[in-house]
Amino acid sequence: MDLTEKLVSGKGNFVDDINMPGMLHLSFVRSPYARAKILRIKGGITWKDVDLKMASVGEGATKGFEYLEHPVLAKDYVGYVGQPVAAVYADSPYEAEDLAETSVEVDYEPLKAIVDPEMSLTAEPMYPGLKSNLLADKYLGADFEIKDAPVIIEDRFVNHRIATDPIEPRGIVAAYDGNRLTVWVSTQSVHSLKEGFCEIMHLEPESVRVIQTDTGGAFGLKGGIYPEYIVAAYLAMREKRPVKWIETRREHLLASRPGRGVVGKMKLYADRTGKILGIKGDVIVDSGAFAGGSGEFSARFIAMQLTGPYEIKNAYIHAMSVLTNKVPQGPYRGAGRPEAAFFIERMVDRLADELEMDPVEIRLKNATTAPYVSPTGLTVEASKPFLESAVKAMGYHDHVRKGNTGFGWFVLVPATMPGETARILVDGGTVKVWLGGNAHGQRHDLFVRSILSDELGIDPSVVEWQKGDTDQLEDGVGAWGSRSAMMGGSALVEAARKLRKEVENKYGKYSPQKLLEGKWDSYEFFHYDKPYNNLGANLITVHQDDLGVIHVRECISYYDLGKVLNMDNVIGQNAGGCAEGIGQTLYEGLMFDENGQMMTSSIADAGVVTADLVPRYKLLLHKSESSLPSRAKGLGEAPTIGTPVALARAIEVATGLRIRETPINPEYLLSAKKFH
Amino acid sequence: MSNLKVSITVNGERKEAEIEPRMLLVHFIREVAGLTGTHVGCDTTNCGACTVLLDGRAVKSCTVLAAQANGKKVTTIEGLSKGENKLHPVQKAFVDKHGLQCGFCTSGMIMTSFWLLNKKRKLSEEEIREAISGNLCRCTGYESIVDSIQEAERRMDESEEYIEEEIPARRGR
Amino acid sequence: MMPPAFEYMAPTDVDEAIDLLNRYGDDAKILAGGQSLLPLLKSRITSIPYLISLSEVKDISYITDGKNSLKIGAMTLDADLEYSPTVRKNFPILSDALGQLADPLVRNMGTVGGNLSHGDPSNDLPSVMLALDATFKIRGKSGEREVHSRDFYMDTFVTALEHGEILTEISVPYWPAASGGAYVKFRKGTWNFSVAGVAVQLQLDNEIVKKAGIAITSMGPTALKASEAENYLKGKKLTAENVRHAAELVVAASQPSSDSYGSVEYKKEILRRISVQAIKKAQTRAEVK
Ligand SMILES: Cc1cc2nc3c(=O)[nH]c(=O)nc-3n(C[C@H](O)[C@H](O)[C@H](O)COP(=O)(O)OP(=O)(O)OC[C@H]3O[C@@H](n4cnc5c(N)ncnc54)[C@H](O)[C@@H]3O)c2cc1C
Ligand code: FES
Ligand code: FES
Repeated sequence: MDLTEKLVSGKGNFVDDINMPGMLHLSFVRSPYARAKILRIKGGITWKDVDLKMASVGEGATKGFEYLEHPVLAKDYVGYVGQPVAAVYADSPYEAEDLAETSVEVDYEPLKAIVDPEMSLTAEPMYPGLKSNLLADKYLGADFEIKDAPVIIEDRFVNHRIATDPIEPRGIVAAYDGNRLTVWVSTQSVHSLKEGFCEIMHLEPESVRVIQTDTGGAFGLKGGIYPEYIVAAYLAMREKRPVKWIETRREHLLASRPGRGVVGKMKLYADRTGKILGIKGDVIVDSGAFAGGSGEFSARFIAMQLTGPYEIKNAYIHAMSVLTNKVPQGPYRGAGRPEAAFFIERMVDRLADELEMDPVEIRLKNATTAPYVSPTGLTVEASKPFLESAVKAMGYHDHVRKGNTGFGWFVLVPATMPGETARILVDGGTVKVWLGGNAHGQRHDLFVRSILSDELGIDPSVVEWQKGDTDQLEDGVGAWGSRSAMMGGSALVEAARKLRKEVENKYGKYSPQKLLEGKWDSYEFFHYDKPYNNLGANLITVHQDDLGVIHVRECISYYDLGKVLNMDNVIGQNAGGCAEGIGQTLYEGLMFDENGQMMTSSIADAGVVTADLVPRYKLLLHKSESSLPSRAKGLGEAPTIGTPVALARAIEVATGLRIRETPINPEYLLSAKKFH
Repeated sequence: MSNLKVSITVNGERKEAEIEPRMLLVHFIREVAGLTGTHVGCDTTNCGACTVLLDGRAVKSCTVLAAQANGKKVTTIEGLSKGENKLHPVQKAFVDKHGLQCGFCTSGMIMTSFWLLNKKRKLSEEEIREAISGNLCRCTGYESIVDSIQEAERRMDESEEYIEEEIPARRGR
Repeated sequence: MMPPAFEYMAPTDVDEAIDLLNRYGDDAKILAGGQSLLPLLKSRITSIPYLISLSEVKDISYITDGKNSLKIGAMTLDADLEYSPTVRKNFPILSDALGQLADPLVRNMGTVGGNLSHGDPSNDLPSVMLALDATFKIRGKSGEREVHSRDFYMDTFVTALEHGEILTEISVPYWPAASGGAYVKFRKGTWNFSVAGVAVQLQLDNEIVKKAGIAITSMGPTALKASEAENYLKGKKLTAENVRHAAELVVAASQPSSDSYGSVEYKKEILRRISVQAIKKAQTRAEVK
């Protein structure tokens, strides 16, 4: 049975499906306050047992904020609701949950929480010794002055925090045989996790093995390491018994790392012909209470992308990551890319309205005509030809005539660096493949088969894509940032070519039979340390009903994907990402009250879309090839970048309202003029 | 608290056990019957990853006590395929039409689809979307799932060779 | 998340269930479909030492035509009522509500009696029963009594059910010919529950409203009957002006509070609009018959 046949028959192997004799179940006691001193803790596993600090690994990892590091278990202070304070364990998850309720006492002295990131900028520093609540503070580009610019537009935009909400929550099983810690985990990167365990727990690389289980979605959530994993490993080592921890959805909403949570204050200078003369702005990231999330990295990353696919000569952006009493921010599909596109595209639409020009006309006017590096450091190819073909292929003008159409486009900046690894093992007629980044639902099995059948001339059915295992592949990076087909795919192509050479060397000539008869093992680290960006565009049409509700009618993507390694794979990635983009724009948000208590009560309340709320999707391809060995370009995050901007614009057209915030407040939608 | 003796027929096999009264049906299926294809994705009865058939009706097994299922018939994802390698047309259609990516929501989606297609045919796309609105999928955007269900319907119309489940006649008028 | 421990009992008849309820007093609660109770237990918002399940009680799940009313056994599944041909034909207002209540899987487990007894102002069936003028049959230690739906809802999660009593049957009077109804619900985004819902049942006589039943969901501590709107419409034609005024009276009957789903003003505006929609839809259905 292949992977999908297993999954449709209930024979998957997700982390919660693992059962071992003598297994213990962990449950956590968490802070009920957004900010408090801990006066006393009695009972359970506490910091006295595990006095360790988290390290930052995985996507957007940052170092150098030692005193702000997240403690594995809180010591004398808690910084957000849901922060792990103590752990309990039992033979069954029911008992463990009972114990969490009854066996630990914690006395807190609540402090005034800092909830709003903009207010945090001027608030008292959260921790003694800090001068401000800025976790990261950087200027990109160069300051400029444009005297008497004919058009100056200023605005403020917000993308609220959203839960990553894979349908499988986080989870881990840890076991220890006296020498070696083995963990089975739902993850995007076994290698990042291994690095994290070694660094945080001071373990030698030989003594840790990380094995990926079937991973039920991740969307950025499962690239990093979490306090709960460390406690599970600690307990497994202490008790010499396997330990399981499975996150509840409530814990997920409260205490896993959510994405977005960014404010953009923008100022745009233009002339009356629509030429953009410069942009200034503040990017303010709601980083949460500790370093180690992606917050301190993402402000700079967003700022860098603010010039978009445009030739903007002047740009000066202040990138700030701000401490707040919330769980640290993490990457969520797009991770900084959708925010940047939202801010700049909304501004360009404002400019179009100000000058009463067609939004695409304005965009054509400002598109790059040759490869361009913007003042903030964004590399863009000539974007104008792409835009022209997008407009044509999508039938933009016909749609506009019919009304309620929004268009948006963007530069996708895949996380190419530092490349990726791959291993091919041929034995007994089957071909096993490991990639350094671990799929969590992107169906790497599909493109792995396509690549190997192309490169090696073998029947796709003999290829078996393998889940991550640090014992099978010595190093690797991770599956995030739209990088897998580009980097993992290229590593695989190179490994396959190496293999082909080896067969040739041995037999004088390559043949698939010779390959499959033998035993071969090929490893490749495809190093890559340059950006490799590509362009994408989205078009959306909507209808607003009598109650103000927006219904998405058409959702069209036009992407430059280089060579399509597997069409079904690509269609699936686009569809899923469009649904998430629609979700972000219309429904998804984690809401907090002024005390930092989360008001969002369930995955339904958090806004994950249901089947009845989304349309069909259409994907059109811009034909091109990349110069990478896999010939692929980035995809995974594209629809989460393009959908919100196109949808926001379509809603502006349909309602006459200015869209500045996601999720869009339904009450605001009902304030449209046509209703009054 | 005193334990309860229950007997639940899971995929045609009678399972008897002494359980804590609070045990949820999903845990009976996973821990007692050892069938881990039924998943848990939330704690508020929203996601449907735990969907099984209880006496022919698709329900969320995380929100049913095992005790409530005492004496009843439960069908799980593992009960749909005949023998080792014979997938049900619904399962096959999900494979062929890429109705899954990560596969975590899939058991629940398939059980809801199975229930739906045993109950009614000639479904409009709107009816299909409505019927799976209690099952969340974060990966696919639902389009390929809808395609899979439509494909399954075609195949079930054509073939008789699959497991059927008697969907209870509506009681009363 | 898993529920805290409790004892579970599954009596086979109503009287035995009533005995058990009385034996354990405040520590006991009825378990019907569990679609409201189990999520509460799982989140550990509450604990209940004794759960008395009605799942083995016979003869409490039925839909039968009585002489003047439709009789619905309390343990009838939402889904069974949804697909009942009688309901589809005679009470489209109920089909409207059931088809939008929770999701199809929850409806396969949740019961009509549970939906009505829970006393949750966001549940959809209470306002429909108020609009239809239903009566509830309640059985306790000292026998059986009937309570009109209008007297049943006292406060959030508080109903006329006394401790040790069970709701056994709902009786929905048949409305004369030229009657029709509709339920319109405005969902909370991706959530099933509503920001506002309104149930309207009308009886017409040559374009004149003879009788109106109107009630609202999610708009106060309980489902609320909009009596002034009902009385206003009586004897009137459904002109645009009259419909608008009636909707205004429905809004006047509401007591919404502001939360993350909107301000009081917004919720009232939504209610105003869906009231107009519901009245018009009810009118169309009444005219067809
Ligand atoms: C995800 C989800 C979404 C939902 N969305 C909606 C929605 O949109 N609209 C809606 O209306 N409902 C919704 N519900 C609630 C659902 O309809 C419940 O089924 C219903 O409210 C309770 O019915 P039950 O049979 O499950 O009752 P239970 O949960 O078993 O019981 C509920 C309460 O009523 C009492 N009770 C039950 N039956 C009786 C009786 N015969 N006599 C006396 N007391 C009794 C119980 O003791 C308990 O206090 C939703 C539920 C879920 C899980
Ligand atoms: S686990 Fe049952 S609905 Fe989510
Ligand atoms: S396939 Fe991943 S949640 Fe549906």
